[in-house]
Amino acid sequence: MNLDDIKKYTEELIDQSSSRGFEDSAAYCTDNISVSVDILNGEVSSYENSHEYGITFKALKDGQMGTCTTNILNEDTVRYLLDGARENCEVLDDEDPDFIYCDPDNKELFYSQLSGNYGKNTYEKFKDLGLKIEKAILDLDPRVKAVDYLSISAVKSASYMINTKGLSAYTDEDGIAIYAGARAEENGVVKSGGHYWIGLDIDKFDLEDFKSHVYENLITKFGASSVKSGNYNVIFKNEAFVSLFKAFFGNFSSFSIQKGLSLLAGKENTKIASEIFTLKELPMYEKALTKFPFDTEGVLTYDKAIVENGIFKTALYNLKTANKENRKSTGNGFGGGIGLTNAVVTPGDKDLSGLMEDVGDGLLITDVSGLHAGVNPISGDFSLLSEGFVIKAGKRGRPVEQITISGNFYDLLKNITAVGSDVVNVPGSRGEFFCPSITVKDMSIAGEEK
Amino acid sequence: MNDKDISRIIDAALTNNADFAEVYMEEDSSRSVSLLNGKVIKAGTGISAGIGIRIMSGINSVYVYSNDFDTEELIKMARQASMALSGQNRAEIAALNELCKTSPSVIDIDPASVPKTDTVDLLKKASDLALGYDPLITQVSCGYAASSKTIRVVNSRGINKEETKKRIRLTMEAIATKGNEKQSGRVSPGTLRGYEFVGEYPVMDKMRSCCDTAIRMVNAGYAPSGKMPVVIGNGFGGVIFHEACGHVLEATSVGIGASCFTGKMGQQIASPVVSARDNARIEGEWGSYYTDDEGNESSDLLLIENGILKNYLVDELGSRRMNMPVTGCARREDYCYAPTSRMSNTYIDNGSSTPEEIIAATEEGLYCSQMGGGSVDTATGEFNFAVNEAYMIRNGKIAEPVRGATLIGKGPDVLMNIDMVGNDLKLSAGICGASSGNVPTTVGQPTIRVSSILVGGREEE
Repeated sequence: MNLDDIKKYTEELIDQSSSRGFEDSAAYCTDNISVSVDILNGEVSSYENSHEYGITFKALKDGQMGTCTTNILNEDTVRYLLDGARENCEVLDDEDPDFIYCDPDNKELFYSQLSGNYGKNTYEKFKDLGLKIEKAILDLDPRVKAVDYLSISAVKSASYMINTKGLSAYTDEDGIAIYAGARAEENGVVKSGGHYWIGLDIDKFDLEDFKSHVYENLITKFGASSVKSGNYNVIFKNEAFVSLFKAFFGNFSSFSIQKGLSLLAGKENTKIASEIFTLKELPMYEKALTKFPFDTEGVLTYDKAIVENGIFKTALYNLKTANKENRKSTGNGFGGGIGLTNAVVTPGDKDLSGLMEDVGDGLLITDVSGLHAGVNPISGDFSLLSEGFVIKAGKRGRPVEQITISGNFYDLLKNITAVGSDVVNVPGSRGEFFCPSITVKDMSIAGEEK
Repeated sequence: MNDKDISRIIDAALTNNADFAEVYMEEDSSRSVSLLNGKVIKAGTGISAGIGIRIMSGINSVYVYSNDFDTEELIKMARQASMALSGQNRAEIAALNELCKTSPSVIDIDPASVPKTDTVDLLKKASDLALGYDPLITQVSCGYAASSKTIRVVNSRGINKEETKKRIRLTMEAIATKGNEKQSGRVSPGTLRGYEFVGEYPVMDKMRSCCDTAIRMVNAGYAPSGKMPVVIGNGFGGVIFHEACGHVLEATSVGIGASCFTGKMGQQIASPVVSARDNARIEGEWGSYYTDDEGNESSDLLLIENGILKNYLVDELGSRRMNMPVTGCARREDYCYAPTSRMSNTYIDNGSSTPEEIIAATEEGLYCSQMGGGSVDTATGEFNFAVNEAYMIRNGKIAEPVRGATLIGKGPDVLMNIDMVGNDLKLSAGICGASSGNVPTTVGQPTIRVSSILVGGREEE
């Protein structure tokens, strides 16, 4: 079965849908292959290889959109999808209508972004590289005891959508991800830490750079202890800031705002953050590995500021939520909901050392954990187990562990006092998040007794 | 797929002399509805099928999967995959056992036979109740999901098993708003019973208590920060044990020496008042199964007895690494994942104190009546989890509600610091995410007290 075989089912669905009483319908199919190799103790511990495809059918009846999915393609598939969608249309009573869309000027959308390198992603290549990475990490320091997790994986995917409005949209992509997690021990104290890499060409992987990040995220943690509870000026290292920010990013979705689940309701064009903070969505950002010229509703994407100099410029809309406010979709209709493509925080002038010099005395937070536990996405409250370093006289000092950093997301945005220049790209569920380290004043830290 | 084709795939998987090959097949159908403020905003239906082929040679393994059941394609895939493993002891393919079918579900009314409109009507009534309950209640969401999954596992040792699990999960959440502050009360029961469960579940009473929780918490002040005695309520409070202890007893981390409990068998790892089990064989319980995803029989496993570590959770790969027998705990979200050691229904067993005695014996501390989710670093045992509903304990009595607390610590320390265990054991449904995907698990415990734990809160400024 390949994409051309699957396409035939989508065409039959669209042909039959009007005779089944649907006003409009869309069929969306995907075809993915992947390969991954895990290394443990000098050997390949696991090797995976896959091929998967499937179809999602969406159909409108009285403004209600019924959905049905399957990955079983046989003589029953079309009937199953039509029946399932109809049953769901009948129970839905959403006040806000759904839409099947086609831009009359852009009926045929085609965007192929295959790197041309996927063929290099062989078992042998991944195995050799994996063993090399493992050895390099073990050789970093005598305290490194094991690389408990080391995985190299690659994915290639294609998707195709057609609808009764005349849309035909095709996109494909591929990519590679490497992740390593290591364990080190000294005098009975165990520390864990690792690093990741994403890219399009396995030959562009830089082992020396990767190694130095693992060292930084692991060995420097020895000697960590807590700090006294109190309020501190804090630098969130780029990756830690992204982790925290992403936990609250749903508040920028128009769906959350319209349903009263986000405190950003009614705040458009008002100040919600420090004036030095700007966040843009750049779907076709040249530094991003994957680009998004259109969303999965067939709407063209475009560059936009979400927060510009502290002012909340726009939430993210799909066709349904845009209609509710009588405006245009922002091209963020992904996967039946609202999604972000590539996000970019506009960097400042100073690197991390410069930020630390300005802070003087405070904390550098390198990791926040428990984001699915310690955040209240609605109120913005968070309380998170964190680790990092003391900043003393403008320099990085001893490591810190077993502290919680707590506060409120909306207060944090306003209390940003500096934005660094040390941008990293953190992979998200769709695109990437490009962000530098960020200084926030007056954060509440719980550690040892006061 | 017929037995002959399955045997051909297994044979192809052993091409390069691997010592074990396994074929896993599944078919999964699901139906769901989601309501927001009494309106049905999402309704979904889906069916999927897939096949996974695992090949092992010593402690190395290869896993390939697809949703294309074309036998010749699968044989090709298995043969290619086998080339990544060069073994010396090619498994003798045992004759296939007679197919053995099991199900831990207890079904009077098949959820698939009930029209969605019946469930929608019930959840609309619950939504209406909540929306009219109090002006502070501003959002109400409800959901229903039913699924039926049949798996079949066949391997080179002749294992030939099939298991069907039908599940239902209800969710109800009320959100209270006061100024900029929003807090929620939530329940999400899950079961392997039939649709009769929905009829028996006290939907209206539970919705009222969700509203009460949300209202109390939105009116509450912030929890304090620092180390203090903490009493954790029964039921979902067991998430502390799941995170701080359960995960580090899985062969996935113990088998590679990455767990803080590696090499601790027979040693005191918890306070003597703590005994705990992982029991996959409770009929109708959310986290149960009789046949695991490697085709082995599941077990009622004693993990800790009076503080002494008695058993790890061991799957096939763990068994090879640790030289210990499997415990029937291999699980996976679906065919896209190779199985690994996971928990089922995991709980701290009843102790001797009543919950009232535990509170009365606590001069000052925090009472966590409803826990949220959490996570753990298995190498260091560091964990943290959220508290959805909490109260201060003052002079041995439950005092004012407080919000925004998280509990933070290291698993081994906390287990040693449990100094009182109640007699009110209760189980509660959840979803656990790990390397083999998301699987339904039950957590549970009676009311317990931890003598000292770090509370991450935010005192009112």
